[in-house]
Amino acid sequence: MKAPSGFCLPDAGETAALAIARCLLEHEAALLDEQRWPEWLDLYRPDCTYWVPARRADETLTDDPEIELSHIFYASRAGLEDRIRRIASGRSAASTPMPRTTHLVGNVRLREASAAEVIRVTSAWTTQVFFVRSRQTHGFFGSADTDLTCVDGAWRIARRRTVLHNDYVPTMLDIYCL
Amino acid sequence: MDFSDMKRYVDDRPQDGVFRVHRDVFSDQALFELEQRHIFERTWCFLGLESQIARTRDFLTNWIGRTPILVTRNDDGAIVGLINVCRHKAVLLRHEEAGNAGVHICPYHGWSFDANGHNVHVKNTRTACYPAAFDAESHDLLRLPRTASYRGFIFGSLSAEVPELGDFLGDMRFFIDLIADQGPQGIELVPGRAVYTYNANWKLQLDNGVDPYHLTSTHASFLDVQAVRRKGEGNVESRSFDWRKRDEFPAGAMNFRNGHSAVWMRQPEPEKRPIAPAMDEIRARVGEQRAEWMLNARNLQIFPNMQIADAISPMLRTFRPLAVDRTEMRAWCLAPIGEPRALRAWRLRQYEDFFNPGGMATPDDTVIYEDAQRGMAASPLDFLQGYSRGLGAAVSGGGEAGAALGLDPATSVEGRYDMFNEVAFHGPYREWARLMEAGLSGRRAWA
Repeated sequence: MKAPSGFCLPDAGETAALAIARCLLEHEAALLDEQRWPEWLDLYRPDCTYWVPARRADETLTDDPEIELSHIFYASRAGLEDRIRRIASGRSAASTPMPRTTHLVGNVRLREASAAEVIRVTSAWTTQVFFVRSRQTHGFFGSADTDLTCVDGAWRIARRRTVLHNDYVPTMLDIYCL
Repeated sequence: MDFSDMKRYVDDRPQDGVFRVHRDVFSDQALFELEQRHIFERTWCFLGLESQIARTRDFLTNWIGRTPILVTRNDDGAIVGLINVCRHKAVLLRHEEAGNAGVHICPYHGWSFDANGHNVHVKNTRTACYPAAFDAESHDLLRLPRTASYRGFIFGSLSAEVPELGDFLGDMRFFIDLIADQGPQGIELVPGRAVYTYNANWKLQLDNGVDPYHLTSTHASFLDVQAVRRKGEGNVESRSFDWRKRDEFPAGAMNFRNGHSAVWMRQPEPEKRPIAPAMDEIRARVGEQRAEWMLNARNLQIFPNMQIADAISPMLRTFRPLAVDRTEMRAWCLAPIGEPRALRAWRLRQYEDFFNPGGMATPDDTVIYEDAQRGMAASPLDFLQGYSRGLGAAVSGGGEAGAALGLDPATSVEGRYDMFNEVAFHGPYREWARLMEAGLSGRRAWA
């Protein structure tokens, strides 16, 4: 099959890498929807970076989290662990009652797959959130870059950069909205 | 509704130990319309920082109440306040929050304006048969009646009948100085901002911004996270404070004239403040007393639309009332211009942790504002309770802190952090009632 310019159909190795990435992203979506927090954290490497850039006044994304604002920036999984502690504590009004979510992930495209150890993908995502407290529903959506690495046969997320397209935030935002 | 007597809404009788605010102040649609006209359109409102428009032809946009505002720096370097609306069909001229442009072109019929707001183009003027009367009119953008800056903070007023900005700010200038002087070249907004809304009245934020004592209940889950971090677990990079220590520290509140107020407290662990490594330079430049006050926590209300919180790393937030039960917030991290990279990262991690709408504290505030707004509809409820907390210790003038600093607030209170109170809400509500009364009775708001 002939492909249009700039687009190459994946070869067998790339198809396998894409299948791994899709499987993991969909699994992550389900873990968030089912609030299986320890398993969700376990998908991330302890030394992962988790980054949701903010926008500058000219609507461009911030690109250096050291000197520009992010919605969320963690240089390790510890920041995500803090959030799960808070969300699960029942002592945060923002997450009590816990909002209900459906995460959808699609349009997964391979950016890089080297040997059997690293897969880098870009995806589109949308999350519908029902804020039980206010009986309001909001759809968050955007794109994400995910780097996966395989250590001892287990694929984990080494880097996540999430772009929130509608970052006119309705009341609150947390990791389960993304 | 009876708007003839604002005492029905703000029951201010300190001599009787009474300060009460009626729930209608938060929920009445007619009052909301009146406060747009008599408060937002009749006093100074914060618009932005001069460092946001550092170069000629830079511009920023903002709102005063319902009115879109365009602030530019013209070719002479002067700051110009304009109404961000084309004179033809009232189309919004600039949609960006900030940018640089020599000419502002209306997207509808192409009317164009320079950085001074002067009309430089109307389409087909030679052939369009505009009558002489049209040519006799000015087609320039409307100017804000007043635009002025204090220490790089730009304010504008839709009414010309306001005092000079310095007189309006009064002794709040001391607290603004403590922000502006944190860097030898001044301060700036860190690139990147958060914009968020909540479905509740703007005055819930007005109160919350000078209310340190909700921390231990509203933000219990954040304090839990801090406790875990003290054991070396969790995101220790965010350098969170051990706020338990401050219960016994001195603290206070001051109400200034024209609606401004400040709360302050001695802050434990000053070494965690991102200016801590720069304190030698700061002390040499501003003196020992001002340097020490920069390390004290200070939350400021610049009435009516801006707050600064400097208890972690400093944040600046503005609020724009969209409806009686809906408010738009914008928040920025403040930082010294030219700050070293490592200190900027330190500052940002502290800021994001607490203040972002996706952080671990602000969401607990905003969802509770919405709970409060739902409660404000309760028809059997009249006056809200608790505004008098601290009134028993409030005094005229500035107390010990005021005397030491040479400040002359209208009222103040001093004590320990754990007696923190609602005295700093009084100044803003007194000004709210004063401006509403002046507007409703047709009197000038300012002498």
